[in-house]
Amino acid sequence: MTKKYLGQRMTRTEDPRLLTGQALFVDDVQVPGMLHAAFLRSDYAHARLKSIDVSAAKGRTGVVAVFTAEDMGDAWRPSPPNVSPPPGMPGVTFHSRTPVPLVKDKVRHAGEALALVIAESRYIAEDAVEDIWAELEPLDAVVDLETALDPDAPHVHDGLESNLAAHLTQEKGDYEAARDQADVVIKRRLAIDRCAAGAMENRGIVAHWDPKSEHLTLWDTTQAPIPIRNGLAALFGLAAPQVRVIAPFVGGGFGPKIMLYYPEEVVLTWATMQLGRPIKWIEDRRENFFATTQERGQVHHAEIAVTKEGRVLGIRHDFVHDTGAYNPYGLTIPLNTQSHSMGAYDIPNYYSDLKVVFTNKTIVTPVRGAGRPQGIFLAERLLDLAAKELGMDRLEIRKKNLIPPDAFPYEHKIIDQAFAPLIYDSGNYAATLEKAAAMIGYEEFLKEEQPRLRAEGKHVGLGIVPFVETTGVGPYEGARVTVETDGRVSVATGVGTQGQGHFTSFAQIVADQLGVSPRDVRVVTGDTSEFHWGTGTFASRGAVVAGNAINAAAASVRKKVLALASKVLDTPEEELELVDGLVRVAGLPDQSVGLGELAVMANPLRGAVEPGTEPGLESTDYFGPQYGAVANGAHALILEVDPETMMIEIKRYVTVEDCGTVLNPLIVDGQIHGGVALGIANSYYEQLIYDENGQLLNASLADYLIPTATEIPRVEIGHEVTPSPLNPLGSKGVGEGGTIPVPSAFAQAIEDALSDYGLEVLEMPLSPNRLFELVHQRDA
Amino acid sequence: MSNLLTVSLNVNGTQYKRTVEPRLLLSDFLRHDLGLTGTHVGCEHGVCGACTVLFDGQPVRSCLMFAVQANGHEVTTVEGLGTPENLHPIQEAFREKHGAQCGFCTPGFLLTLVPFLEDNPDPTEQEIREAISGNLCRCTGYQHIVDAVQFAAERMKA
Amino acid sequence: MKLEGEYVFDGPREAVWELVRDPEVLATALPGTQSLEQVGENEYVGNMHVRIGPVAGVFDGRIIVSDEVPPESYTLAVDGRGAPGFGNGTGHVQLFEQDDGKTLMQYQGDMQVGGRLASVGQRLIDTASKSMIQQGLESLNNALQARMVAEAEGTDVEYVPPTEAEFAAAVAKDMAGEMLPSRQVIGIVVAAVAAAVVAMVVAIVWLGARKED
Repeated sequence: MTKKYLGQRMTRTEDPRLLTGQALFVDDVQVPGMLHAAFLRSDYAHARLKSIDVSAAKGRTGVVAVFTAEDMGDAWRPSPPNVSPPPGMPGVTFHSRTPVPLVKDKVRHAGEALALVIAESRYIAEDAVEDIWAELEPLDAVVDLETALDPDAPHVHDGLESNLAAHLTQEKGDYEAARDQADVVIKRRLAIDRCAAGAMENRGIVAHWDPKSEHLTLWDTTQAPIPIRNGLAALFGLAAPQVRVIAPFVGGGFGPKIMLYYPEEVVLTWATMQLGRPIKWIEDRRENFFATTQERGQVHHAEIAVTKEGRVLGIRHDFVHDTGAYNPYGLTIPLNTQSHSMGAYDIPNYYSDLKVVFTNKTIVTPVRGAGRPQGIFLAERLLDLAAKELGMDRLEIRKKNLIPPDAFPYEHKIIDQAFAPLIYDSGNYAATLEKAAAMIGYEEFLKEEQPRLRAEGKHVGLGIVPFVETTGVGPYEGARVTVETDGRVSVATGVGTQGQGHFTSFAQIVADQLGVSPRDVRVVTGDTSEFHWGTGTFASRGAVVAGNAINAAAASVRKKVLALASKVLDTPEEELELVDGLVRVAGLPDQSVGLGELAVMANPLRGAVEPGTEPGLESTDYFGPQYGAVANGAHALILEVDPETMMIEIKRYVTVEDCGTVLNPLIVDGQIHGGVALGIANSYYEQLIYDENGQLLNASLADYLIPTATEIPRVEIGHEVTPSPLNPLGSKGVGEGGTIPVPSAFAQAIEDALSDYGLEVLEMPLSPNRLFELVHQRDA
Repeated sequence: MSNLLTVSLNVNGTQYKRTVEPRLLLSDFLRHDLGLTGTHVGCEHGVCGACTVLFDGQPVRSCLMFAVQANGHEVTTVEGLGTPENLHPIQEAFREKHGAQCGFCTPGFLLTLVPFLEDNPDPTEQEIREAISGNLCRCTGYQHIVDAVQFAAERMKA
Repeated sequence: MKLEGEYVFDGPREAVWELVRDPEVLATALPGTQSLEQVGENEYVGNMHVRIGPVAGVFDGRIIVSDEVPPESYTLAVDGRGAPGFGNGTGHVQLFEQDDGKTLMQYQGDMQVGGRLASVGQRLIDTASKSMIQQGLESLNNALQARMVAEAEGTDVEYVPPTEAEFAAAVAKDMAGEMLPSRQVIGIVVAAVAAAVVAMVVAIVWLGARKED
């Protein structure tokens, strides 16, 4: 098999449709007889629902139905958890509380849905929402992570003794002993605050129950159509084949579009089955700030123990993770944090105490990075503090502690988000870091440029950090590859696509296996009618897991093609080659048969298919990695701060990424650019601000500042390649790598730029106001 | 409903006449009444720019206008720029330079850029970035979009 | 957020105290008031339609008066809820007789807002609420003067309260003077703050709006 297409910077097959407005997004779906939904959402973050009066709303012209929790009867129940609670591990406390379709007795976060209005148009539905009167008795809200476990804190969930959602500890070696041996021990409190994913397309669902065919179709902006289909079928007593979930083109996922199950998915399905009519619900941007999940809130009390030569003996952190009002996603995010709290380093001793708390805020589920940025922030800040304390160069201390290239697979002796041992499969961390240092001109900057600019009164700083990223996790994905009778190839896989270019990169994999042009490979993703085994697009796993399944299926089809062609051309398989849609005898180009012809021959109109074989040139295959491949990289940036306005300008931004085998460098570059943009946003521009009553104070794009083209710099990208031994393609994921280390690098750069102020940046995000405060606190 | 008004307007070269409520947003009118779903709605408060269309040749936020305000005017949406078989140079440039990932914000960028490039056939990178600073993109980090604009400017000059 | 300020009424303290105990005056002094009734010894409920800029809605308010020391001071607890959100707070009001026959009113309060009011109105809430209170008190001062004139001349009180629109315009103009993002934002924010703050304003001056005896 020649690698003609894999690794090519191919432009995307799907672009002509997207660029001309011909691609279908959920809100573009029109079904005859379709009704429109709007929700009444609670303004209070914590309140008892005493009563709800929907009579006026029902009476409004154009309103077809108004539903409350009472109306749902026995169908009302909390969703099943998205991620299973930890299998009875000793020492783990876990209380699962999942979202409800509509509030029945108690509101637990601002924006929780109280009632559902179905009307002839969205305009009428929204009018009717204002006709509804809900009698709510406000309660004190739990907002701050650090006081959520105080004995007098109100309880988010009445059945529990406190707001503790989970507690577990992890250890490696003996941190206390390490601490005793250390020359220097540094302790700090680190805090990271929430951000929104902010996809440009808000969520949306069109739910269509057709009573005559007893079939449910759901168009949904979900990243995981298959679990939604299976789950809804189970919830509503349907057979899985009666349910079809389609994720068409989706305008950005970034994590929150993979919650199972959003209340809207459940209640709209129930409603369409009640009314027997299709119903469309499209979230508006303000709803998105409340009803779509968020992430990042954690507070760590961390310490690092080092020798005076700069060798890290151990790291410990006790931390609190904010899960919001419910915890459907289990422990994924904080376990990811733990998995990354040792960074790219060989740390012999580690201890972590994790407490997860409920608060009266929007539910927390992964947002691009999913707990990893916080872990890397911890590791990198601690190393920077140690470097300062020891008077060591920050690159030097890092190089001293990086996992060496011959130490793989490196076993960390703690568990990861899949409750499996954390193992880093491959990488050359020193090479990556050195490359980044070379690209940013580390030596020259520190020795020449920076002193020169400082003499001119400019506050410039450099930040450089290595990072790791767990990617490509299981359980598995699958794919079906078929050679069609016209010679083109069809591919179906279960993951969804939200801009990652699957239609092109997956085609490139097949193209190499079958000797066709990627433009003749038609890929379908995210439609459970086309493929219904698998999980979804998240955790930087789409290309790795689905890609490898597609590769396996294409390889199987290749075998069938060769076997059949060998008979047809009366030539041994080894002498055949697949080129330009033909199977040819090597060296005898006239002796060939087209793939399409073969496909026809493989589906006989007369004669039987031989036992043990199948008609057609088709195969379905699956891939499940042993464990997740670990990508790595390094980021470096140079920025300038204006100490009067605290506005920053990023002068240069460099990333070096090792994601193993690259399928399409154009697409990978795009993923890195986008990831870095979110990382920069997480560092300086975006922060969800809640007041003490759980009210979100900046629930609009006017106040929640998503960076524009004037804030995001050009990103220079370098690559290292250490193929992963965990999958045949050798790939590792790259979807989140751009985001993960940015706040760490940013913090270092800001401290460096404002070194005359002696700042310590122990929180993310910063902002001009906050930086101003920090600088002036130091003065005082 | 009471109070319906007639609106006559030209969209992408075709004349339309419809009866609508005064409060119907132009974005909803284009998308649902006329079926031109290429214009996307990202925020309904005028910040994200995904809903940008040309109104008598000038970029406007269609989520902040009422359909009735377009009475007697000319509107251009992304469907009026090109087709998959026949891309406008700026669409071609976006394809060449991978300026779109999920594609949701893209029509808004394209409609902002068409008049910009007409008025500024030779823009600097900074000018390009300022011109698109009213359009949010969450996927691309803007770099390939800027590349696409530079590429389009080159092509369109020739 | 904290609300505090003062206002000088052009009249003696007794007259001010009486004025603010007159339910008719109060109900008309603030535009949009739809109803006000006493439901307990020191408890009132009412609702007010607020329409300023693009935000409109009916707010239901409950006011509880306490710590009355006529004609010096009182405390109010207010709870207002409606479609645009909610607002609640506590305020303490004091009246001081001045030498020149005028009365100084001082108020300190604590208010919380939620819903659209909180998520859209944040940046301008302080300015908007101060302005609304000022405008409301000015309106009452005009009512006071009209009353005093009528008493002096033995005629009927001629007082025309401001319309909702005039009230809103005055507030907007106030705020524009203080700080200026776009008018549109002011309009939205003023509207957003309107109901909660008005509930507070109303409460501050609605003291004693209970039946005599």
